[in-house]
Amino acid sequence: MKTFIAIILLVVAPTFVHAKNDDFNAVVKMIEQFYGVKHVGIPFLAKAGMKVATTAARIKGGQARRIAEAGSIKLAVFEDQEFNGDFMKFRTSLNGALNTTWMPVIQTISSGDGEQVYIYLREAGQKFHALVITIAQRDATVVQVTLSEKNLALLLKDPEGTGKSITEEATINDQE
Amino acid sequence: MKTLFHINIRTPLIALLLIIATGFVARAQDSRIQLASLDHLAAKANQTVDVAIDERLIRIAAKVFSDEKTDEKEIKQLLTGLKGIYVKSFEFETEGQYAAADLESIRSQLRGPGWSRMVGVNSKKEGNLEVYLLLNGETIGGLAVLHSDDKELTVVNIVGPVDLQKLAKLEGQLGIPDLEIEPAKPKTKNDEK
Repeated sequence: MKTFIAIILLVVAPTFVHAKNDDFNAVVKMIEQFYGVKHVGIPFLAKAGMKVATTAARIKGGQARRIAEAGSIKLAVFEDQEFNGDFMKFRTSLNGALNTTWMPVIQTISSGDGEQVYIYLREAGQKFHALVITIAQRDATVVQVTLSEKNLALLLKDPEGTGKSITEEATINDQE
Repeated sequence: MKTLFHINIRTPLIALLLIIATGFVARAQDSRIQLASLDHLAAKANQTVDVAIDERLIRIAAKVFSDEKTDEKEIKQLLTGLKGIYVKSFEFETEGQYAAADLESIRSQLRGPGWSRMVGVNSKKEGNLEVYLLLNGETIGGLAVLHSDDKELTVVNIVGPVDLQKLAKLEGQLGIPDLEIEPAKPKTKNDEK
């Protein structure tokens, strides 16, 4: 019996760890497979990572403020591609893949302009990870950041606005 | 013999504890209503918003509101003790996209024990507004708001003690839509005449 339990643990444990640690990549792959698209390659991401160091987001009131913890941003960008597909099926797949380790906080779907926004949270010690997935008609971004409790509170106060700010922070070069 | 005695005493004790614990869990979950029956409407809707904020996240969110400013202090107090905020909202391009059965799937839960519909609560927005409170004795255990018009359906479920008079202050915060709720005014002596 003990051997049986040990075998089960050996099989299940790596799967669980893999799912928890690699959800960002899993989501990127899911988008690629579901919509038949490809995210922008590593050189661009490296460049984006450099940009991130000088990035600030503009949140309500026009104040420049960094939301993500320094060096915590994971970013995947999909540019100028078709995102045609049943968003209900996509949402179900996404929630099915993430709901065991992430809390879905807000999900908005605007079929009129074809935009979907999903914000998930999970604990990371004293801080939190936020996963913001934005899919528009021809572009998409997947951003994972670490948030302090204070900035998590900002996200919860205005989930949609702060979610957009997190995406902007990860993708827009600060001109200041 | 000792083992048998332990088994004889322990088994009913554990069973009793489980029954009590289950009762507490069931009571704590009473005011959370199931909204998944509405999910299929997202396929027809022009705009869908789905919000789920649990107790722990509410406690964190409360920290962002100031103790100095009166308005924010009130919101902070309102959030204290809440166990969850859940919203589903659908906007449709044309009329008739949701059925009476969709509304009934929510209303049927609000006919359960403890729930009562508030009268005299209005909204500046067009459409039909229904506000339900879950009362646990004298205390409020939760609230549900159902707003519907020809092209829109919104359900807000707040789990925990919520002051109806201050509910309007939560609108536009934490993903709660602006329903422009006007709480019932307290009766004056003139009203009673």
